[in-house]
Amino acid sequence: MGYTARQIGAKNTLDYKVFIEKDGQPVSSFHDIPLYADEANQIFNMVVEIPRWTNAKLEISKEETLNPIIQDTKKGKLRFVRNCFPHHGYIHNYGAFPQTWEDPSSVHPETKAAGDNDPLDVLEIGETIGYTGQVKQVKALGVMALLDEGETDWKIIVIDVNDPLAAKLNDIEDVEKYFPGLLRATNEWFRIYKIPDGKPENQFAFSGEAKNKKYALDVIRECSEAWKNLIQGKAAESKDIELTNTTLSGTSTYSQAAAQAVPAKDVKEDAPIDKSIDKWFFISGSA
Amino acid sequence: MLRASISGPLRRLLMTKSHLETPFYGSVVQGSKFTPDYAQYLKMPNGEVGSYFHDVPLELDHNARTVNMIIEVSRWSNAKFEISRERPFNPIVQDNKNGKVRFIDNVFPTHGFIHNYGAIPQTWEDPTVSSSHEGVAGIKGDNDPLDCCEIGSAILSMGDVKKVKVLGSLAMIDQGELDWKIVVIDVADPLASKVNNLGDVENYFPKLLEATRSWFRNYKIPAGKAANEFAFNGQYRDVSETLVVIEECHDSWRHLLRDSETNEDLPQVRRAGAGVVYEAQELPDAPIPPAVGKWHYIK
Repeated sequence: MGYTARQIGAKNTLDYKVFIEKDGQPVSSFHDIPLYADEANQIFNMVVEIPRWTNAKLEISKEETLNPIIQDTKKGKLRFVRNCFPHHGYIHNYGAFPQTWEDPSSVHPETKAAGDNDPLDVLEIGETIGYTGQVKQVKALGVMALLDEGETDWKIIVIDVNDPLAAKLNDIEDVEKYFPGLLRATNEWFRIYKIPDGKPENQFAFSGEAKNKKYALDVIRECSEAWKNLIQGKAAESKDIELTNTTLSGTSTYSQAAAQAVPAKDVKEDAPIDKSIDKWFFISGSA
Repeated sequence: MLRASISGPLRRLLMTKSHLETPFYGSVVQGSKFTPDYAQYLKMPNGEVGSYFHDVPLELDHNARTVNMIIEVSRWSNAKFEISRERPFNPIVQDNKNGKVRFIDNVFPTHGFIHNYGAIPQTWEDPTVSSSHEGVAGIKGDNDPLDCCEIGSAILSMGDVKKVKVLGSLAMIDQGELDWKIVVIDVADPLASKVNNLGDVENYFPKLLEATRSWFRNYKIPAGKAANEFAFNGQYRDVSETLVVIEECHDSWRHLLRDSETNEDLPQVRRAGAGVVYEAQELPDAPIPPAVGKWHYIK
């Protein structure tokens, strides 16, 4: 199963898009890549959106056909996350699980908050820096429940199955054992990352505690079911989401022609990032 | 035409004066970055090659508490670039061991160097004599210019010559050698006018001093080396004491110029004045090995 990334335009511009291809043919990064790489062994496919230690907020587009990865914008300006001391950019390889959806019409019984209308977010902690549009096979280890401006925004903690430590990591307590301090840093990172932009500190459900693997697998399963309703047109609220796909022939949004409409690969040299993004913000009382 | 006819020392004096008036330095780069062949030389305002170690003036200003700094490493990068002791004109090169270029490891939670790192020109930590500085008396220097950590918000570039304000220092002991780390801020930083001492650093950059000390203590541990130690129980020294350290190391540098003629083991002191010109090569960077992206956790 060969997934590759098809880049169009220069990174750090509004034109930048990364489509994922399977065997050279464009697919939807949201709908066409199977969630399970190996269901019996609970190995998942993860789409990498943001490489560790970078700042550009890249994400799977919900609106564009075949859901390429693009840089988020606000009022027409490219979005970058700020560096909050002692962190530099994102501190994980950040991405999403394909074929999952956090349903905004469904209030979670424990977090008491509705879904954020996105695919499930994934934090990959392995030693290798990923790249945008990479499809990795990962093991789930646990989950944290961020409450981002009132919505449930689960963060599934995973490790690449090819990481040298993958065999030793089987549940959330192994993360603290082999990556001491990482869960605490992750908690801090998500609480404070919007403070430099003038927003309040985010909150976590469960007093910020990371839940274990079993809990994470339940969340993944729920979000997988929600996506199945979405793709079958049964979701209560799904108006914003582009559902075109090139492999799910049983769905009304299946379209092989969509793959042909994707522009050819056209990699341009990265555009420079504004110098203001280099700043380190020191937020007292956080670290 | 006039310059060609005057003697070396006089010409150097004239050039030094011209730097003070128009401190504009360039650079000449040879070899691919991230290979042992890479060398970035100082280019003097008149176009000839100079030495980052010897030809950029210290310019210690006691009232403003400023000195010049040469940037060797940009914040959040890993390649260990440094002013060469051994090579004529002391270019900035990447430290290498048996031809393998050196990258420092990322120690969680930090990424690469956490400051713009560099050196103070015309200073030297003398390895031949014991320091007489109270608190570190009896310890010999590491044979390099004074190291410097710039904490401003901009990422600075290799070879930049910056006027920086001195804020304090940490006396690191690396395998028995004295290796001061001078904490400074670029005078052009938006916060520079508000930050004058260690207390101000803690106020405007909370926990940075603590992180700096841990960083220096731990950064060689992933490579299998011992933790570094510090004199003064790891306490930072204040601005006035740090200015004394800089003066002492400036005096040592003068002795280096004097003694280098008779001691071949000392750093190269070849400098501008003879009109040597190097041609730049424009070569693509070599790739950085993926293992440099690893985060090391110290238990």
